[in-house]
Amino acid sequence: MAAPPPPPPDPQFVLRGTQSAVHALHFCGGAQGQGCPLLLSGSQRGLVHIWSLQTRRAVAILDGHRGQCVTWLQTLPQGHQLLSQGRDLKLCLWDLAEGRNTVVDSVHLESVGFCRGSILAGGQQHWTLAVPGRGSDEVQILEMPSKTSVCTLKPEADAKPGMPMCLELWQANSSSRPLLLAGYEDGSVALWDVSERKVCSRVACHTEPVTGLDFDSQKARGVSGSAEKALAVWSLDEQQALQVCGTHKLTNPGISDIKIRPDHKILATAGWDHRVRVFHWRTMKPLAVLAFHSASVHCVAFAADGLLAAGSKDQRISVWSLYPRT
Amino acid sequence: MAVFDTPEEAFGVLRPICVQLTKTQTVETVEQLQAQLQAVSDSALQQLQQYILFPLRFALKTPGPKRERLIQSVVECLTFVLSSTCVKEQELLQELFSELSACLYSPNSQKPATVSEELKLAVIQGLSTLMHSAYGDIIVTFYEPSMLPRLGFAVSLLLGLAEQEKSKQIKIAALKCLQVLLLQCECDDHPRSLDELEQKQLGDLFAAFLPGISTALTRVITGDFKQGHTIVVCSLKIFYRTVGFIMADEQLRSISTVQEKPAVEHRVAKLMVHREADWVKNTGDKLTILLKKIIEGVSVHPHWKVRLELVELVEALLLKCTQSLVESAGPLLQALVGLLNDESPDIQARCHKVLRHFADQKVVVGNRAFADILAEHLHSLATSLPRLMNSQDDQGKFSTLSLLLGYLKLLGPKVSFVLNSVAHLQRLSKALIQVLELDVADIKIVEERRWNSDHLSTSPKTSASRPWSQFQRRYFRFFTDERVFLLLCQVCQLLGFYGNLYLLVDHFLELYHESVVYRKQAAMVLNELVVGAAGLEVENLHEKHIKTSPEELSKIVTSILEEYTSQENWHLVTCVEAEEMGEELTMQQSGLQAITSGSSTCQVTSFPAFSKPSPTICSMNSNIWQICIQLEGIGHFAHALGADFRLLLTSALYPVLEKAGDQTLLISQAATSAMMDICLACGYDSLQHLINQNSDYLVNGISLNLRHLSLHPHTPKVLEVMLQNSDASLLPLVADVVQDVLATLDQFYDKRAASFVGVLHALLAALAQWFPDTGDLGQPQAQSVGEKGSHLSPRPAALEKGLEKSTTAEDIEQFLLNYLKEKDVADGNVSGFDNEEEEQSDPPTVDENDTVPDVEPPRPVQIQIAADVMERCIHLLSDKNLKIRLKVLRTLGGKCGDFLRSRFCKDVLPKLAGSLVTQATVSARAGPVYSHTLAFKLQLAVLQGLGPLCEELDLGEGDLNKVADACLIYLSAKQPVKLQEAARRVFFHLMKVDPDSTWFLLNELYCPEQLTPPHPSLHPVQLRGAVGQQNPYIANVLLLLQELQ
Repeated sequence: MAAPPPPPPDPQFVLRGTQSAVHALHFCGGAQGQGCPLLLSGSQRGLVHIWSLQTRRAVAILDGHRGQCVTWLQTLPQGHQLLSQGRDLKLCLWDLAEGRNTVVDSVHLESVGFCRGSILAGGQQHWTLAVPGRGSDEVQILEMPSKTSVCTLKPEADAKPGMPMCLELWQANSSSRPLLLAGYEDGSVALWDVSERKVCSRVACHTEPVTGLDFDSQKARGVSGSAEKALAVWSLDEQQALQVCGTHKLTNPGISDIKIRPDHKILATAGWDHRVRVFHWRTMKPLAVLAFHSASVHCVAFAADGLLAAGSKDQRISVWSLYPRT
Repeated sequence: MAVFDTPEEAFGVLRPICVQLTKTQTVETVEQLQAQLQAVSDSALQQLQQYILFPLRFALKTPGPKRERLIQSVVECLTFVLSSTCVKEQELLQELFSELSACLYSPNSQKPATVSEELKLAVIQGLSTLMHSAYGDIIVTFYEPSMLPRLGFAVSLLLGLAEQEKSKQIKIAALKCLQVLLLQCECDDHPRSLDELEQKQLGDLFAAFLPGISTALTRVITGDFKQGHTIVVCSLKIFYRTVGFIMADEQLRSISTVQEKPAVEHRVAKLMVHREADWVKNTGDKLTILLKKIIEGVSVHPHWKVRLELVELVEALLLKCTQSLVESAGPLLQALVGLLNDESPDIQARCHKVLRHFADQKVVVGNRAFADILAEHLHSLATSLPRLMNSQDDQGKFSTLSLLLGYLKLLGPKVSFVLNSVAHLQRLSKALIQVLELDVADIKIVEERRWNSDHLSTSPKTSASRPWSQFQRRYFRFFTDERVFLLLCQVCQLLGFYGNLYLLVDHFLELYHESVVYRKQAAMVLNELVVGAAGLEVENLHEKHIKTSPEELSKIVTSILEEYTSQENWHLVTCVEAEEMGEELTMQQSGLQAITSGSSTCQVTSFPAFSKPSPTICSMNSNIWQICIQLEGIGHFAHALGADFRLLLTSALYPVLEKAGDQTLLISQAATSAMMDICLACGYDSLQHLINQNSDYLVNGISLNLRHLSLHPHTPKVLEVMLQNSDASLLPLVADVVQDVLATLDQFYDKRAASFVGVLHALLAALAQWFPDTGDLGQPQAQSVGEKGSHLSPRPAALEKGLEKSTTAEDIEQFLLNYLKEKDVADGNVSGFDNEEEEQSDPPTVDENDTVPDVEPPRPVQIQIAADVMERCIHLLSDKNLKIRLKVLRTLGGKCGDFLRSRFCKDVLPKLAGSLVTQATVSARAGPVYSHTLAFKLQLAVLQGLGPLCEELDLGEGDLNKVADACLIYLSAKQPVKLQEAARRVFFHLMKVDPDSTWFLLNELYCPEQLTPPHPSLHPVQLRGAVGQQNPYIANVLLLLQELQ
């Protein structure tokens, strides 16, 4: 008789107090010993909460999006700078060093859509930012911090992929050419060569708009989710052609966000069915269904040390410690 | 006042007597002489010294049998002269010394002559005075080798007296005299200190006496305790001063290997000792034997001054004779260490001073030999510790542990090296674990219950600086003396302070895991280790020692805390929870909870794998203690970490608060005191403050535990306590967690409703308190209710009251009314046409009143919560369990009186009253076992619930009378005490509602005083309960009437 699988775990702890739905999560610090680890959360009401994972309390609240939903949060690798994207059509750059929390710069956005931005930052001063562009199907590439527009990626006229829904800038180890993965409204995922401004490859993964994607540049494999009942795993060959490797059925439809853990071992999805699902990244074997939230889960995030956070419409952020690395 | 100042005058007076004395030696003459001498000035006496001494010495020297009385008076007279004059001639000194010594010498035997005690005393005093009167340098020349035989004679004489005499006075005098003779006198008459050469010569001389002195004194010192402490103290002093002088490293260093030829005759030369290496070695060995004897005898001497002198001995010898007495170092250190924890604070202080002195001088740490000796002793003590702990009595254990403590103190930082040896650590820990075993057979521990579930009101200010000093009395199997326990704590603290904390914590955590038998003891040790590591209770003798850093300590504490609060160590079976333990829970418990029955005093019962386990009293006691110890530990940890403990509150506060609400008195006490420790450490003013400031952590725990309610059945209770200690600022948090609570309640209506009702009650009470006024938010609703009420019901009184009440309550009442009536309608239970029509028009009224048209108007959060709660309460009203129903009634009763009042009076009250009346006859006749029956518990529950209900529902007179009549019977002394108490409570509540009728009713039962009318024209009132009449109600009625006044 096979032993029954162990019961799904409980969250390690739950953060309360955003007082509105949580739409964006991002971990920073901790692993490299940059002081105590923090979790950043963006809420429907436009506030960014900075949580100390040590005290499990908000240490600061940033108000920079005039009450409009914060959809994307990202810190820059150099230091204490935070990017926040809000539905007030503004992307704010915050200085968080030494307890400051002031907006030092902002970028005006042209698209009202749900598409989150993406950055590509090496160790240098300069970094590249991808955001949805003026035209409904365009992606704009900016050189930061100078905010100079590098180019606009517009699909060919006959492609009609719809709006970009999610972006992922990356760079292959072998080359210095920035590449962009974009999930589109028509369910397709496209690989753009940013410097040549052309689509290298495009593959239809879903029948519904792509709502989230993440890419593992080591394995040259990515995963995407959409409003439908399946995840798509696709890969990139040497000729930079995208191929769908397989799809994985879900119990309930609707994925809001999808993230691969930094160690490329597992991935987590944020489900409209209030649940977070965890898969083995290599085999795509379902590992756990994390049931805690009482409304749809909007976003998931992994910390460098493997901690998982999920933000939900029920205004809570659950933090989980799964398969901790020893 | 001297009358004769000049020698001439004095001579004139004294001459006749001296002449007469020379001729006829009688006591009278001597006394006459002495009387005359009183009148002579000192200077004159000095001039005439030889002249006066002559007849006296003559009297002593006269051959033939002498009368003792005469000799005594002669000696006394002689002493008098010597005390007022100086002896300036070497010869005179020597002669007088011999003559006086000879007085006690019986030529026939070696022993002192059998003379009267008075004479002995006189001679001893004479000798002492003589030595004092020796002038200047002649005292040094007195101690020349040629004097050796005569000195030796005197010394042995005095030793003999000190040892063999019965009279305490003589013994002391002999010892004092010996001190003088050995130049150890403490009086001020010896201004000149000896130079190095003189010291050496004296040392050479005295060395000859060392064997005699040391053995004789050892016999005195180790003699009967009854001989009095002064003698022992004095002997000890002479012993160590003599040994310290003769064996001083400083002197011995300069001794050449070849003996100088002394300029004395051969006979004397043979007696002289040459202190070369061999002699030192031999003497050292012999002294070690004597010292061991002395230490053995004196360290347990009942008088503290004796033990104090032993400390002096150790200090003197260890400082002066480190090399010559190296063999004795072990026993000497042991003696010192053993006295470190003496019961006398003076000795403790002195020991610490000595140790500090040693540490400063690097006597131990700087001296490898000493450190090795200590380590070796610690090793052997650790080896024998388990056996000693088993076999010794409390006093023995106390001194053994004192010794252990002392070694640890002396070794200081070297402790961690010693404990790096696995064998050492294991032996030591085994002994600690063994001796700390608790006696868990006491039934009271399980039985004692926390009855009142009142608010946590204690503030930490009431407790002392070391908050856990009044810890709960524990009973240990192997000792009863509280001091032994304190010593054990100190030992553990010291280990934590000096030892390698990681290693120790690891080791004891391992033991903690290893067996239930060790668990409690290991936890006690761990608690103290942490306190010690923080350096809080430890006096550091070694200044350079670096203690554990706060970061490390914090890490270690976190891991221990995790262990303590883990499911299998925290949720133990402590009582047979008849009510709360559902079947499914019990099944899980058999697997999950450690039902401990390992204690060897108890019978170990083994359960068949799948049968329902029935924990024994012992195992439950053991569990209770384990939880208490762990709670105490958490308090200790907070104390040790101070404000750093705040970070651990995320994981520690919830479990502690959970235990604060435990039914078992001991656990609840321990948890409360742990919380106070936390308050003190983290800087919270009160428990309320602590809870309020950390509600987010609690909510986190509550919400997560509600997911596994069967494992955490007490979760609702924690929320209850949290709600009682929170304020309106926490509404968002509360709203959040209430959703979880209600969702969980919906799953568990059948099994755990009772515990939830408490929460709901607390919640509503809190909401009503937080949002008391009718302003702001609630305004529109209040109006709507008001309008509605006016055409809904013909009850103006209720309406008025409703308007006065808070919005929340009003709204709830309305909601409830609507809901119930709708439910009635839905059930087809249509009571009247009029009502029904208005019912249906109600809900729209509410909607119309809302102002914002397009968005669904959100109700204020608190009202939404209340409404949600009410919905559940209604469901629970029909619960099968009477206790739950009563609780629900109370919950509702507080907030929506009118409706409930009518329902209550019509349906509930008659049944309750009826059952009370019928049961009363049973309980009045019942024996002590009755209090364990279900019937009793029901009676108690009803009585406890009735009072508050009467008050909250504001019952009318008729119903109040029903209640009073039903409860009256329970005021009888024949009823069980608990029921009487509960009945009295009912009457307290009745008094608040209607004092007059209650007074009348009580006086009808028993009237303590004759009522006199205020005016003679009025008839005297005669109540039924006449004065003096014996009836079983008197006691309770008197109590209640007292309250009424």
